[in-house]
Amino acid sequence: MMENGERMRMGGKTGKSGKGKKSGLVFLTDMFSFRVAAIGKWLVVVLILGYVALLLWFTGGSTKPFEEVAQAVESQLDTENLVKRDVQALKRYFGLNGADYAGVLYYSSEFSISAEEVLIIEAESETQVQEIRDAVEARLESRKENFSDYAPKQAMMIEQAAVLVRGKYVFVAVSPDAERYADVFRKSL
Amino acid sequence: MQFSSIVFIFVFLPITVAVYYLVPQKFRNPVMLVASLLFYAWGEPVYLALLVLSSMFNYFCGMDIEEKQKERWLARRSLFVAVAVNLLILGFFKYYGWLLGTFNDLFSVSIPYRVLSLPIGLSFYTLRAAGYLVDVYRGEVKAQKNVFQFALYMMMFPKLCAGPLVPYAAFEPQLGRHAVNVYTLGRGASRFVCGLAKKAILADRMGEVFAQVYALQMETFSILTAWVGCLAFAFQIYFDFGGYSDMAQGLGMMFGFDLGTNFRYPYTAKSVSEFWRKWHISLGNWFKKYVYIPLGGSRGDTSIRVRNIFVVWLLVGLWHGAKWNLVLWGFFFAVVLVLEKYAWGGWLAGLPDFVQHAYTFAVVSVGWVLFFSPDTGYAMDYLEIMFGFGRRALVDQQSLYLIVTHWVLFILCVLCSSMRGWELFCTMTEGRKNVIVRRLAVGVFYLLLFIVSVAFLVTEECVPFLYYLV
Repeated sequence: MMENGERMRMGGKTGKSGKGKKSGLVFLTDMFSFRVAAIGKWLVVVLILGYVALLLWFTGGSTKPFEEVAQAVESQLDTENLVKRDVQALKRYFGLNGADYAGVLYYSSEFSISAEEVLIIEAESETQVQEIRDAVEARLESRKENFSDYAPKQAMMIEQAAVLVRGKYVFVAVSPDAERYADVFRKSL
Repeated sequence: MQFSSIVFIFVFLPITVAVYYLVPQKFRNPVMLVASLLFYAWGEPVYLALLVLSSMFNYFCGMDIEEKQKERWLARRSLFVAVAVNLLILGFFKYYGWLLGTFNDLFSVSIPYRVLSLPIGLSFYTLRAAGYLVDVYRGEVKAQKNVFQFALYMMMFPKLCAGPLVPYAAFEPQLGRHAVNVYTLGRGASRFVCGLAKKAILADRMGEVFAQVYALQMETFSILTAWVGCLAFAFQIYFDFGGYSDMAQGLGMMFGFDLGTNFRYPYTAKSVSEFWRKWHISLGNWFKKYVYIPLGGSRGDTSIRVRNIFVVWLLVGLWHGAKWNLVLWGFFFAVVLVLEKYAWGGWLAGLPDFVQHAYTFAVVSVGWVLFFSPDTGYAMDYLEIMFGFGRRALVDQQSLYLIVTHWVLFILCVLCSSMRGWELFCTMTEGRKNVIVRRLAVGVFYLLLFIVSVAFLVTEECVPFLYYLV
């Protein structure tokens, strides 16, 4: 009875096509999957759009000129403790060639006892971004090891460094104000 | 994660193989799916959710298209929406920044925009999804009702990041029972080691030669330096992508899947059209089935056939990357293929073999210059030097130094680009009459190959696969 009733309510679709062997339950499941498919795909599109928006917001890079981004961060830096360095320092400390990139801003402490430093690099390509990330990781790791023996607070600060990769920008801040600098960097993009 | 990384070879792969072989048959697909998700999450955790969502979208779309088959126009509309969404996702990640940048340059404006890096494998993923949806629409395959099996087709790790583009019709029967045993494991492992050796010993070393030339100021190039650089890149990209494909195929074998052949000694081709039948075979098949034939293929008058070739090759160029020189690369091959078809193809076939090989290699090399150049200006300058238009010295110390220090590598690459290398290996091993000695020789050979490859991976920088960036 139930099967026949269901078939009638479905507009006699199975009856017309002559495929009445299909049980009502299977038919219902099919109808359900049809609806799920039709609705589900749009639901997933909405989820994809939302996810891409989140990605853009939290990880998206910017095409803003490097000077604008650098200036915004530089204006907030504690320049009493940090000194602006040239590309030679970048080569010495990170093993990176400053001339290869679209822009470089590097500040570090003038005292060797302090691990404070802030670095922003705009790479020319995705491959360079990976190269910079690797260099930054290596630098942070080796400095953490060095400081851990005689300056554990500095080692802790390195541990809590802010490292952000936004598009072709790589930002590194080892500082008690690392989070604030990172925030300024994010807003400047 | 890379197939050629130490973590993959010594941690991820052994654990996955062990678990896969130990669990009962019915759990093998779930194990492979979980391994694939972990594999992708290792390198691109941020994009894993995107891949999963996109997979779900295509799963629903496949069922939706199938359900609407009775009303053909509804199914067509559904297919159009599904393919459009896939292309929009690819377009956003791959072409949006490039198009806006071009617009800014053309009209001297500076519209700011936010960019995201291209998720690894998205270009392959999109073609895989589009192919599946079209096949469902055409009724060639049934829509997959099991979301996990569908996800496995879309995201199985051996073919996730850079293909091969296995058609769903060929993959679906393999989702059932996986015939895995010591024999398939051994065959797969030896194929994997071959690919690993191509990548670690040949491609990455050739990459270093190419990088040396690329780092030079072009004003200082001699003609020979330009050719050495081009040759180095030609070998690098072949052994890089060919090595990747061998590794993917080997991994497939280990897990009981046949992923098909992607390369058949392309540098032994005697014409450019033959080259493209031997290079990245799965991509060629995809464009032939889903673009070239629907456009009319070789039917219709000459102008239609020429148009079809140009459309396909411009799309192939654009698919390889969002750069104008890649569009030019596609255009260049379209021109060459049209000329081979209608102008000099017949005449070429009558020439001695070595002339045909030389012609093909020279044309393909010109193509590689367009491929590796950062922009069209660089490519044109490089080609000028290669063909002696720039009043350059024929030979200089730099080129001689590169040849003298890498001649063994070049010879190895030439040998391995043709059947000669394989024949040499067979002669060395199969010449032994004693079966045990023969098997031992083969085993020792692969073990040595593996040890040398790993030694390079440990001591040298891990170079990402070139096609990961496509």
